[in-house]
Amino acid sequence: MKISTAHKIGRFFQYFVLILVGIIMIYPLVWMVGATFKTNAEIFSGIGFITKNPTLQGYIDAVTQNYGGDISIWKAFVNTYSFVLPKVIFTVISSVIAAYGFSRFQFKGRDFLFGIMISTLFLPQVVLNVPQYLMYNTFGWINSPLYLPLWVPTLFATETYFVYQLVQFMRSIPHDLDEAAAIDGCGPVKILYKIICPMLSPSLVACALFQFMWSCNDYMGPLLYVQTPSKYPMSIFVKLSMDADNGFNWNRILALSLISIIPQLVVFFCAQDAFIDGISAGAVKG
Amino acid sequence: MKKAISLALAGAMTATLLAGCGGAASSSAATSEAASTAESTAASTEEATASEAHEINTTDPIELTISWWGGDSRHEAYQKALEAFQAKYPNIKVSATYGAWSGWEEAQSTALAANQGADVMQVNWNWLYQYSPTGEKFVDLRDYSDVIDLTQWTDAAKDACIVADSLQAVPISMTGRIFYWNMNTFKEAGIEEVPTTYDDLIAAGKAFQEKLGDDYYPLAIGQYDRMILMTFYLESKYGKAWVENNECQYTEEEIVDGLNFIQSLEDNHVIPTRPSMIAAGFDSIDKSQEWIDGKYAGIFEWDSSANKYQGALADNSGFTVGEEIKFGDKANGGFSKVSMGMAITTSCQHPVEAAALIDFLWNGEGAAIMGSECGIPASAAGLAAAQAADAVKPLVLEANTKVLAFVDMPLDPYFESSKLKDTTDGVYTDVFDGYSYGEYTAEEAAEILLDGVSEVLAAV
Amino acid sequence: MSAPATKTYRRTPFKRWCDENTGLFFLIPWILGFLIFKAYPFASSLFYSFTDMNFFKGISQYGIMNYVEIFTNRKTVSSLLTTVKYAFMTVPLKLVFALFIAYILNFKIKFVNLFRTVYYIPSILGGSVAIAVLWRALFKDTGVVNTILGIFGIAGPDWLADKGWALFVICLLRVWQFGSAMVLFLAALKGVPADLYEAATIDGASKTRQFFSITVPMITPVIFYNLVTQIAQAFQEFNGPYIITQGGPRNATTLVSLLVYNYAFKVNEMGMACALAWVMFVAVALLTIIAFSSQKHWVYYAD
Repeated sequence: MKISTAHKIGRFFQYFVLILVGIIMIYPLVWMVGATFKTNAEIFSGIGFITKNPTLQGYIDAVTQNYGGDISIWKAFVNTYSFVLPKVIFTVISSVIAAYGFSRFQFKGRDFLFGIMISTLFLPQVVLNVPQYLMYNTFGWINSPLYLPLWVPTLFATETYFVYQLVQFMRSIPHDLDEAAAIDGCGPVKILYKIICPMLSPSLVACALFQFMWSCNDYMGPLLYVQTPSKYPMSIFVKLSMDADNGFNWNRILALSLISIIPQLVVFFCAQDAFIDGISAGAVKG
Repeated sequence: MKKAISLALAGAMTATLLAGCGGAASSSAATSEAASTAESTAASTEEATASEAHEINTTDPIELTISWWGGDSRHEAYQKALEAFQAKYPNIKVSATYGAWSGWEEAQSTALAANQGADVMQVNWNWLYQYSPTGEKFVDLRDYSDVIDLTQWTDAAKDACIVADSLQAVPISMTGRIFYWNMNTFKEAGIEEVPTTYDDLIAAGKAFQEKLGDDYYPLAIGQYDRMILMTFYLESKYGKAWVENNECQYTEEEIVDGLNFIQSLEDNHVIPTRPSMIAAGFDSIDKSQEWIDGKYAGIFEWDSSANKYQGALADNSGFTVGEEIKFGDKANGGFSKVSMGMAITTSCQHPVEAAALIDFLWNGEGAAIMGSECGIPASAAGLAAAQAADAVKPLVLEANTKVLAFVDMPLDPYFESSKLKDTTDGVYTDVFDGYSYGEYTAEEAAEILLDGVSEVLAAV
Repeated sequence: MSAPATKTYRRTPFKRWCDENTGLFFLIPWILGFLIFKAYPFASSLFYSFTDMNFFKGISQYGIMNYVEIFTNRKTVSSLLTTVKYAFMTVPLKLVFALFIAYILNFKIKFVNLFRTVYYIPSILGGSVAIAVLWRALFKDTGVVNTILGIFGIAGPDWLADKGWALFVICLLRVWQFGSAMVLFLAALKGVPADLYEAATIDGASKTRQFFSITVPMITPVIFYNLVTQIAQAFQEFNGPYIITQGGPRNATTLVSLLVYNYAFKVNEMGMACALAWVMFVAVALLTIIAFSSQKHWVYYAD
């Protein structure tokens, strides 16, 4: 009896915290959804999200605005994914190869290289911008219609976060598995894609997911390297719509922002099971 | 590691080369003649060819690029004008780069540093001084005077764009600061007339506070606005330009007087304090709820911004172009400046056709399409064309006319140097925010301002 | 490693070298990428840090003046201190919060997917424009937060105008985006073998006791990973102050990366920008070395 009461209180407490935190987390989004239906004058008039005179004008404007035909919200979506997808795929492949090299082999200088790899976590991107820009310029990559500067580097495992994350995950896959495979005559490459990758798939999904989110939100990269408006990705398009000369239509901006994150919300919702439950099934220790 | 270092050094060298000039800072007209030999050779060949007539190529396919920043309506106007240009010259294809102002200067200056700027570039006035102090980024438009009709601009306007003895851009429009009032709020406070004197402002502050409450202010000005308003005040009271001959003309005591003037506006509830504006959390006044709702009932803004502020108001029936206010008796004070210019980058492969595009946009048919999208055209022919096409917004024209008729002081081009003007990190921000926050006394603030200005001028 | 030990024929030195360094082959792309896209730009930035490089005026002076300036100028010193303060505020808050929520989610909770998604939403919004708009609407003087505080009779501060609170607002933005740290914690928590808890319960250990003596030690690798990456992120924080406060009020939120950005792109002083970035890099690298060398005392790896 006593235990069950304590248990009930515990349960109640858990849900209470979860729901309270959940409300804090989601409230801004809910407010944003509400605000997309409000007029400028009403947006800050209260903290509620229900509006007296809802208007769809924000959405209509967001969808139809096209800056003289060069770019529209749909084009911006297509543009975004046309470099985000290669970026995600190449990041995962190249990171897993590098992580394999770091975590599964002993050789001279490995720890030194690993130290260097970790230290690149701390290179501030801001200061790399200008030298990188000059370098890409000599490669002729500026304003490349294929978005080369945005995804080519990821072919070379330059996203240290993911290499490090995968190293951490790989370390907890038992070595006897690949030793057994080696005795069966598997080469190191085959071990990687036959044994390691399937075991690692949840964390691969995690990497892909995080990279997808971060790349969709990247603003500085496209700003520097994409100069043709018809090639602008979503992040620039949203900013573009903010600098309207004729008054500032909050509902349009917020509607546009909201539409722009819908794919990301959907992707997360669908992918989360694959990696969270998967990771635990693999009994990964991090 | 050795390899990495040598690579780095090689890279650095390339970067320096790419950046164009490897020499020391030398931007005044006098020293620029001694710019690197390669450039002067290039310049002299250009001058040699300048005497020959330029012919616009109307047969071979030519590609030009153009870049600008702005809002939707400007993008649309440019697009239409470019279509018209390409209809006139079917062999020329113009591709455009445009975007919002935020981050635009950073991206463009990086592109300029790598000689990757668009062929034709809409430039901020200070870019000429900041990014092409020796004239190596933009071509001298006088070399193409047979393509661009330069006589359409006044000499004063053109002189403002001559940097390192090179006409690096033509002014698109001239602009200056003027007051705009939301008379609806003024009427609520029982004031029927627009303020025309300092005393009117003080009276309005009092009336607003008493009748409408502490949240209502007749005027709202940000940190840079404060600097400009103080300049208007000082120049009018002391009758001398803020900076002349590369030197600040004001003593610390005089600047303290100017700061006290700003303080008096704060003390009398004419303007909100900087902390209270920052607490309200807006990017710019037109995007603030206070302006939209009429709690801030006045601004001191560029004439070209009239539409933006009017459009933002929830009820814009009371939006009125005010009168300039004369604060002293020695002069009117105040300045007008080139709002932006149009330049041809030195990396442009087809300068003649680029020049034709500029002439089309600001002197020719294009001007009728552009209207007042970039302010009131500074070119006489352009203004005439725009007016004939009824493409000039009356509000902007009214404000522009009032400003240009009033101001009587020159403006130093380094007044807008990023080091001073930058809204996050600049000297003006430090001085006026620090003063309004009560961190600096007027004397300290004046000293910081004077030091900052002198430092920027000394680096010229 | 692939050569079975039973074979005894002599391998050529080259073959042997290859066998000993198989791992190196997998690192070739990374090494290339590091040299081209990281080492080269970064080394050139080290070079610039000893010059007064300006992209439009070139270089006219070499020496350590930028470093002297950094440690004597009020603005740069305060920016470095602000960044440290920010990191020490944000990282613990965020990790503790993320772990706490992950811990609760790890109980058999209904709608766990929904909760996870809801908690992850702020992380998706990242540094987008919507966040800037939203955050300022929440924390403006008459904004949502102060309205809510008002209901409880509390007069809220001017969040964005007060120098102390403004940094806290920026910090809250990151704590609010605790989603990815939480997701990793959750995955790690699920990996803690259930029999450990069962044994502890039989021994009569309380839940709190179990948390600190079983859960925490078992997930130390993830704690460590999160700690290291969060420190790295905190010291490079740019979006928060850039979109919300632009470094204000009175430079109270001018974190180092924002200042680096200002130097590089606003006033084109590449030399200063690079030097400042290097100072920060060295400081953080030292922190990381400390973290990594402390690893063996508290991080528990299964292998």
